[in-house]
Amino acid sequence: MSLRTALRQQYDIIGSLQPATHVPQNWNYEIPSSLYRAYMHPPHDVGGQRDVPVQYEEKEEEQWELNTYVTCEVLGWRGMWSAEERRRRADNDLGYTLYLGMPYYGRWIWAAARMLVDKNHISLTELLEKIAEVKSRHERKESSESSQKGRQHARPF
Amino acid sequence: MKEKKAPKAAKKADSTPARFKVGDHVRVKDLPNMFYSRTQIYARGVSGTIAARTYQDLIPEDEAFNRDGRLEQYYIVRFRQKDLWEEYPSEKDTLQTEFPDRWLEAV
Amino acid sequence: MQTAHKHAGDGHDHIAAPTVEEITDFEVLEIAVRELAIEHGLFTAEDHRRFTEWAESVGPAAGSRLVAKAWTDPGFKARLLEDGVKACKEIGVDWAEPTGFGTPSDYMNFRVLEDTPGLHHVIVCTLCSCYPRPVLGMSPEWYRSTNYRRRLVRWPREVLAEFGLILPPEVEIRVEDSNQKCRFMVLPVRPSGTENWTEEELAAIVTRDCMIGVALPRPGRTADVHPVHKARRPVHSSPQHGKAAG
Repeated sequence: MSLRTALRQQYDIIGSLQPATHVPQNWNYEIPSSLYRAYMHPPHDVGGQRDVPVQYEEKEEEQWELNTYVTCEVLGWRGMWSAEERRRRADNDLGYTLYLGMPYYGRWIWAAARMLVDKNHISLTELLEKIAEVKSRHERKESSESSQKGRQHARPF
Repeated sequence: MKEKKAPKAAKKADSTPARFKVGDHVRVKDLPNMFYSRTQIYARGVSGTIAARTYQDLIPEDEAFNRDGRLEQYYIVRFRQKDLWEEYPSEKDTLQTEFPDRWLEAV
Repeated sequence: MQTAHKHAGDGHDHIAAPTVEEITDFEVLEIAVRELAIEHGLFTAEDHRRFTEWAESVGPAAGSRLVAKAWTDPGFKARLLEDGVKACKEIGVDWAEPTGFGTPSDYMNFRVLEDTPGLHHVIVCTLCSCYPRPVLGMSPEWYRSTNYRRRLVRWPREVLAEFGLILPPEVEIRVEDSNQKCRFMVLPVRPSGTENWTEEELAAIVTRDCMIGVALPRPGRTADVHPVHKARRPVHSSPQHGKAAG
């Protein structure tokens, strides 16, 4: 997929992430107090909300998930944050869409990245450049592996 | 290389007095709820009994924001499920959860 | 990551199935954060390795041993109920490891909940997924789910029934919502049919689900059976099968 096609696809997806109470003239001058309270409610407090019976399952742990858990704990060990701050960030600050939509350890690593930038341990630019560099490092590795194996593969956009 | 250090040690001398003991009847306060709380909405305004005194520590509202504060006594409070959920069918069942001192008031 | 792309002359889009080699967004972010943290001296690679070693060493075998010992040694059971952290040391589990002051997430306030014939405990953390890792290892995926956290506190009998555990109405079900720094484990009632069993034989029927409270131990039941979602790139050694403590 070309970059422009991927970005056009993003408009469709982002546009579908609407607030639950979408109104056509979508600016609110006032909201009922009950809605205000609901908006202020910390997302992680879910006990007692209705939900349906599901098939509970186990999951084999990914290597990146174990690495994430360890990184978050070691950041705590070395005084960069407490577990309580991690919970505040990973379970509340990111908002309902990401809280309910992201994988469990995806929220952990997101929160760690955000904390490092918030506390000025790293700059956002550094983080973005490192992400790009890790991606291209892997693309080069994929290219060389696949040309060695002589088969086609999908290029990540 | 940044200096390695343990998390800030809690100041044990500087704690608010523990107001409750095991067996006391308490009610969970409904303080305004914004940004962060570990006091569940399902327990607010409900009365229960102190089942245990656990430890003294920072309150979540401080610790989550990396803020040194006074230490408070934490308690495990036991509720009747019927008091938490109007429609709960059994008189027998209970639920326990934990709160720091400031979230509780005597009844 | 799935991509749709045209091959020259193809005339149609097709979605390429992700190959095992393709790196995921989370893998990229994880590597980026870890490398930056090490580059900036926030922690060392050795710190990461050392904590990983601890994480891979913990599992439910330690909890099983605590229960088996409590069932066979009344003095130990009393000590376990009095001070969980101290009693764990008797089986070689130190809640202060690996930092010397406990893990950042698990703390050092371990409490064992004693079941009786008239009282059954079951544990949840409605706010996140707090879990007694030093004695039970890493939490199962379902324990972390919003679904379990929403429902267990309000409909415990229904949720337990879905696990296959139906208790008579005269048994009190007590839900423990571990929302602060205490970490809990259930000490189930020793089942009948286990008279004269060794500690090892007893430990074998005390599975992780029994110590969360969603199952009861019984002779012949030595595994928790749930569907397992396979990982794309699993940890080389699963943390769920940590080495026994001590």
